[in-house]
Amino acid sequence: MLNLENQVVIITGSSRGIGRAIALTFATHGCRVALNHTQVGKDIDQTRSQLEAIGADYRIFRGSVADSGFVGAMTKAVVDEWGQVDVLINNAGINRDKPAMLLSEGDWDAVVDTNLKGAFLCSKAVIKPMIQQHSGRIINISSMTAVAGREGQSNYGAAKAGMIGMTKCMARELGPYNILVNALIVGLIDTMMTKKLPRSIHADLKKIIPLGRIGEPQEVANACLFLASDLSTYITGSTINCSGGGYM
Amino acid sequence: MAGMTMEEAQARVTCRREITKRLKEQVIGRLMLPLEPDEIAEDSPLFGSGLGLDSVDALEIVVAVESEFGVEITDEDMQAFRSINTVVDFIEAKQQEKQEEKPV
Repeated sequence: MLNLENQVVIITGSSRGIGRAIALTFATHGCRVALNHTQVGKDIDQTRSQLEAIGADYRIFRGSVADSGFVGAMTKAVVDEWGQVDVLINNAGINRDKPAMLLSEGDWDAVVDTNLKGAFLCSKAVIKPMIQQHSGRIINISSMTAVAGREGQSNYGAAKAGMIGMTKCMARELGPYNILVNALIVGLIDTMMTKKLPRSIHADLKKIIPLGRIGEPQEVANACLFLASDLSTYITGSTINCSGGGYM
Repeated sequence: MAGMTMEEAQARVTCRREITKRLKEQVIGRLMLPLEPDEIAEDSPLFGSGLGLDSVDALEIVVAVESEFGVEITDEDMQAFRSINTVVDFIEAKQQEKQEEKPV
């Protein structure tokens, strides 16, 4: 029903958290997965050993999605090896939270470069092979901050909102080629990124999430699975909320 | 075509004609245009006023040229995509480059 067996899936920023859950989930469904990460260390080692444990067909690339040279080389390696790219999940993201008044130009650029320019560069790189195939899925991991706002995240919110605009433009451009482009608006998920938030914010957020709890990375991965599968063949240019009702 | 023999010049003309024909067939086939190859003027603009193609169609043409003629197109090469003739010029130049790169 999902029809994902042997699909080639690129997941950016997948050494931990949501990206790791997505990579493992797609691998479990028989996909060949290509991952990227920027830092060496136990995070990517754990991801690698978990992929090994389930017998996944995977490739791991080290480099930044904000570097067009790296993105081009990664995509070429994937296409050369596996002959196709079926799904791109633009997940790579960083945050440098500060009130706008204290936000440096460097903080702005770093977050926008990785979160927004990175998603653009990766999408651009897979579009050609996807047009050749006349099929493809691009899933952009956006955030509740993009649509609801959050203090201290003007750089992050701007980048994530940019992803939504980009999603809609690309959905229009690429619809004729049967390439579906969608965004997930992700709420508060239990990852290292949210662990850094103060306890008081966690308590408040739980109050305003109708489901009354923080989400699990697996729940985001499941939404990606839906958007990559044959269950969503008539959905493009949309934003799907995966926020426990925190944003609606 | 200075420095060429008659035969070489003739071969080049034939080759160009062949590329032009294949390119037009690709454009028509991929974009499902209700036209015959002869109905596309080689000098009229592909986009906007001429054939009336749009930027989305451009993606298809770029991919078609890459796969049909085995050339790689970068962002900088996009300026070649003005008319059938300019695209043929581009394909010829790229194929020439490839020939020269081949070890003797």
